[in-house]
Amino acid sequence: MSGGGPVIEERHREGAIEETDLQPQERFEDELIMHLERDQFVAETSRPVPRAVLSARATAGLWALRVFVVLVGLMVIYTFVDQLN
Amino acid sequence: MSTPEATVSPLRGQPLLTDEDVARSHDRSRVHHARHHRRRWHLLWLLVGPGILAMLGENDGPSMIAYAADGAQYGLGFFVPLIPILFAMAYVCQEMCMRVGAVTHRGYGELVLQRYGRVWGWFGAGDLTLTNLVTLIAEFVAIRVGLAYFHLGSGVAVALGLALVAFTLSGGRYWRWERIVLGLALFNGLFLVAAVLVKPHVSAVVGSLDFTPFPGGSVNTLLLLLASTIGATVTPWMIFFQQSASADKGMTPRDIEHGRYDTAVGATLAAVFGLGALIAGAALLTHGGSGIQGFAPGAGFPEALRRVAGSAVGTVFALGLIEAGAVAILTISASTAYAAGECVGAAHSFNRSPRNAAVFYAANIGVALLAAVVILIPGAPLLSIALNANVLATVLLPVSLVLLVMLANDKGLMGAWANRRSTNAIGIAVIAFVGICGAAYGIDSFLLATHLIGA
Repeated sequence: MSGGGPVIEERHREGAIEETDLQPQERFEDELIMHLERDQFVAETSRPVPRAVLSARATAGLWALRVFVVLVGLMVIYTFVDQLN
Repeated sequence: MSTPEATVSPLRGQPLLTDEDVARSHDRSRVHHARHHRRRWHLLWLLVGPGILAMLGENDGPSMIAYAADGAQYGLGFFVPLIPILFAMAYVCQEMCMRVGAVTHRGYGELVLQRYGRVWGWFGAGDLTLTNLVTLIAEFVAIRVGLAYFHLGSGVAVALGLALVAFTLSGGRYWRWERIVLGLALFNGLFLVAAVLVKPHVSAVVGSLDFTPFPGGSVNTLLLLLASTIGATVTPWMIFFQQSASADKGMTPRDIEHGRYDTAVGATLAAVFGLGALIAGAALLTHGGSGIQGFAPGAGFPEALRRVAGSAVGTVFALGLIEAGAVAILTISASTAYAAGECVGAAHSFNRSPRNAAVFYAANIGVALLAAVVILIPGAPLLSIALNANVLATVLLPVSLVLLVMLANDKGLMGAWANRRSTNAIGIAVIAFVGICGAAYGIDSFLLATHLIGA
């Protein structure tokens, strides 16, 4: 169903088209689509969420933690290499 | 992020349905059916998965060796109460991952990248790639140790690991992948069987619940034990994996209660099986346990257990190591694949075909292949890599945890499902504990290695 897959329209929400008008394949897909929340569709999850605005303190805290973790990580790697020797 | 299939209908402004949507809809229809007909156990069966896999996946080769080594060198005291406490900490972190995944339908990597910027997203992905690669090498080493008990070599370990990755990826469905790995993961219970077979004294196990006897040795040894045991219960890959898998499974806020059951069952099983490895290892305590190297050339622990407790214990422990390594290769490779797809903005789902999610499948197989190549290099320091895998994960974990707590508190994303104060208090305590233990070991070891302080 990739690429040229059929367009699935949310007819079940609109109720504009009689069920008898639907082809079996369309009816099957309409039934399927009812089980997904709208924001679960790939087309929806493909849209990025808006960027959060971090306060200066939060940004500084994150950077401090990141620098600290990198330094400690380097210490562990140094110890690892030292033990090899 | 765009995919070839996820476009908009020019006629009605409605999204096209992708193969990923169709596969997920099938799974969700069964959930709706079970819920509608009040089939509680069937509903639970349908919704369990990511939590158990994250927890039992973390009961991996290095972790089980670490628990057994703790038992062999120090006995049961201190570790019997510590392991359940650490898995309770893991539950707090993993529950947040599941909840964020179910509410936002997005993975950890993509949310951090989109919400807090590319720098933090790529830092997280970098941490994950490094720790995953090191850990995957350790998983192949664990499989090799288990197979060595049956007189099989590194080539078989590599072939087995890679064949499993290829086989589980072949279906193009999340559900299929999850059920196969779940089936394999249940064999983590072999460590409990090994514990029963060594016939431990129940009174000794119960008596160790008061944290005594406290492990002896230097401060650095104690810090190493703490850091490696923490790294055996909570790691960056678990965060990436459970959030992405919860989204890939199609979980929604209505499923959060079952997601909590899933995570709690996983944590309980992992703690019990981890204790099994500890108790089995403790059988070596009075038989020169301190001299046993779990990853030493040859069959290591299984062979030592065979000599002390009989061939049945050795065989079960060896099979357990093979299982632990194999399941972890599958889950850790999957977490790498999710992160790769999320960070480069490519399709990232087991519900996609390899043609439609090339980055996801290539990363999944590629990282396992890279780790496999390393263990085939003659003279590679596999023992040191394996022993340091958990420690490195512990050291790099705090940043991932802080960003996870930030996401779980983000009311713009989570709405009514954002963290409560009590969850935040526990989460912050976990971050502080992990950060202090990891940093203390890293700094102390560095000062010892550079001779700035004496041993």
